[in-house]
Amino acid sequence: MRKITYPLAAVIIFFASAFTFVQSQNWKIEDNYSVKFDGGDPSGEFSGLKGTISFDDKNLTASKFDVTLDVASINTGNGMKNTHAKSEKWLDATKYPTIKFTSSSIAKTASGYEAKGILDMQGVQKEIAFPFTFGGNTFAGSFEVNRLDYNINTAEPTHGSAKFKVSVSVPVTKQ
Amino acid sequence: MFKKIFFQSLFAGILASIAGLIYNRIYLFATLADFSKVLNTGSIIGLNIMVCILAGMIYWILVKSLKKKGDILFGFLFSIISFACVMIPISISLPLKIQSPELFPGLGVPMVFFPVVAWFTIKPLFNLANIDI
Repeated sequence: MRKITYPLAAVIIFFASAFTFVQSQNWKIEDNYSVKFDGGDPSGEFSGLKGTISFDDKNLTASKFDVTLDVASINTGNGMKNTHAKSEKWLDATKYPTIKFTSSSIAKTASGYEAKGILDMQGVQKEIAFPFTFGGNTFAGSFEVNRLDYNINTAEPTHGSAKFKVSVSVPVTKQ
Repeated sequence: MFKKIFFQSLFAGILASIAGLIYNRIYLFATLADFSKVLNTGSIIGLNIMVCILAGMIYWILVKSLKKKGDILFGFLFSIISFACVMIPISISLPLKIQSPELFPGLGVPMVFFPVVAWFTIKPLFNLANIDI
């Protein structure tokens, strides 16, 4: 009996240690997501959302958002405004083709969760907080962005809106 | 006189609607851009008839109050307003579900001229220039 004590202990520890590598659940972004921005005039949406979402409400430290938006996919509902938005004067889709958000931490809050991370837009990286909820396999939340913080057409700070409310709704399925 | 102007406006509205519907079909065929949520058979007929009837009412008021000068003034007014209306399809924000909004001005801009063209095309048939005003 004594002979197998240590081998048995080794096997138990080996298998038990496997559970320490708990990975967060990966989620696949469904096609019917929406990323809308509202600044009065203009308002609209982006349709080119890609990236990886790892989220487990029981293991928030291992959870992470790493998503990008295709700037050229902007749609304000007006062709002229779309062309202007993608131009060098505004979002400069040629030089900065994507808007990126990478979370650094996700924490539980009273109303849901909050992801803190870096929003990379037009070559400017700023930390933002993104409060969101997760239910029915859908991430939903909103945050505010000031375009002047990202050097977007700073020459005309009063042209249109400077602050935009970004509302995100992303249905997902387990990977 | 109002009856004559009314029928002229109505026929102008019908003519503009027919032109609008034909152009709408041609544009859909050429670009495959579907703007039927904004411009469809109902809205094309409704808008053209409404604009022409409204134009007729304004025409009646102008010729009633300014006589012959009203007729001339109306011609300028209708043309200038039509030209200014070019900005509507260019600046309008369509519902976000509609694809290729950049193609909408190509459909909408010519259409804003259909009522005025139809109105002045129909006008000689009703001989309104020679009516006793």
